[in-house]
Amino acid sequence: MDRRRPAPVGGIAALCATLVLGAALLAPTVLAASVLSVHDTGRLRFVHASGSVIIDEGPVSGSFPGSVRVRFLYDGEPTVSAQFTISGHGGSISAHGTGTLSSPTSATPSFGGHMTITGGSGRYAHIHGAGELFGVYNRRSYALTVQAVGKLPY
Amino acid sequence: MCLALALALRCCVPAGAGAAQSAKINARLTPERLGSASAVFLGFQLPARDGHTPPALGAMQLAYPANLGLATSGLGLASCSASELEAIGGEACPPNSRMGSGTAIVELPLKIETVSEHISLEVFAGPSPDGYLHVLVYASGVFPVYAQVVLSGVLLRGQLSIVVPPIPSFPEAPDISLTQMQLTIGGHLTYYEHSGAKLVPYHPPGVGLPSSCPSGGFPFGATFVFLDGDQASAHTAVPCPRRS
Repeated sequence: MDRRRPAPVGGIAALCATLVLGAALLAPTVLAASVLSVHDTGRLRFVHASGSVIIDEGPVSGSFPGSVRVRFLYDGEPTVSAQFTISGHGGSISAHGTGTLSSPTSATPSFGGHMTITGGSGRYAHIHGAGELFGVYNRRSYALTVQAVGKLPY
Repeated sequence: MCLALALALRCCVPAGAGAAQSAKINARLTPERLGSASAVFLGFQLPARDGHTPPALGAMQLAYPANLGLATSGLGLASCSASELEAIGGEACPPNSRMGSGTAIVELPLKIETVSEHISLEVFAGPSPDGYLHVLVYASGVFPVYAQVVLSGVLLRGQLSIVVPPIPSFPEAPDISLTQMQLTIGGHLTYYEHSGAKLVPYHPPGVGLPSSCPSGGFPFGATFVFLDGDQASAHTAVPCPRRS
């Protein structure tokens, strides 16, 4: 389920001011940008590996439910990276994230960092912005639990 | 950091007057199936220089293809304390910290003759104070010098850096020289995991190979830094597997 949410209150005030000025000078109608508030968690299973790259996929629950496919790279550096696409009702969102892995000799190290939206499709074709990415990597099963959080204009 | 220090010292310490130290390395991936897990064999030889035993080794950098799945191998799911390893030996380490094994040959250049000693190696995951994967290599020899030393290493992107501590032999004799090493990461290891209340053994799959092989094969390399300031490098490649 996708949710169109209004911009935050401060943002609305600024947007209104812009619209009033803009209406006087430019177009007669301007649509306010919607914001997708993402707070989603995916519990993913291992699909395939190629050297230091692991491919996982699985269901996502939260504000933008659907399914996700993740390309997770861990090459020994403390910084891990993930490219992922969440496919839900109305379109898909793709992002790239990096995070720092803690306790790499643990069986289930966790990581946290930032994500940047790289593209979208359908209703979210113009989505952009950034957010935070958290996760736990199971070194035995190669399963991932990931959480993406962000407010993304589209 | 120790490797950087050793490299820096090389600028200050004159190398031996004779020929430069040479090195040979060999590498093998078993089984070598693209996209599958494998054991990584890496060996080196440091031949005699001008008929003399090579100088004592201070550090080595073993380079491997950066997209090899060493970090994602599932090896080293626990860590072993260096102090306990040094004091008690490999049995002090959790089974899930074991990452591999190997052998080495060291030489003791005595006055009358040079004596060789066979060494057994055990590789463990060490504690990580900095987010990097650390490894400990427990080297154990029995005769003619009874000694156990721990070599510490860190896994970086595409390379394993190992610091070799000075290995004393007899009073007034020079330090022991490491002249050959064969190291296996992965292989037949037994790990344990909880299944309900039980501990169930399993064999970790090993180091994942990429789905494609670069032209020229999988490149491996090694750089050796000796305590006398000399340095040697060698390269090799594991040929790509034949298409079935």
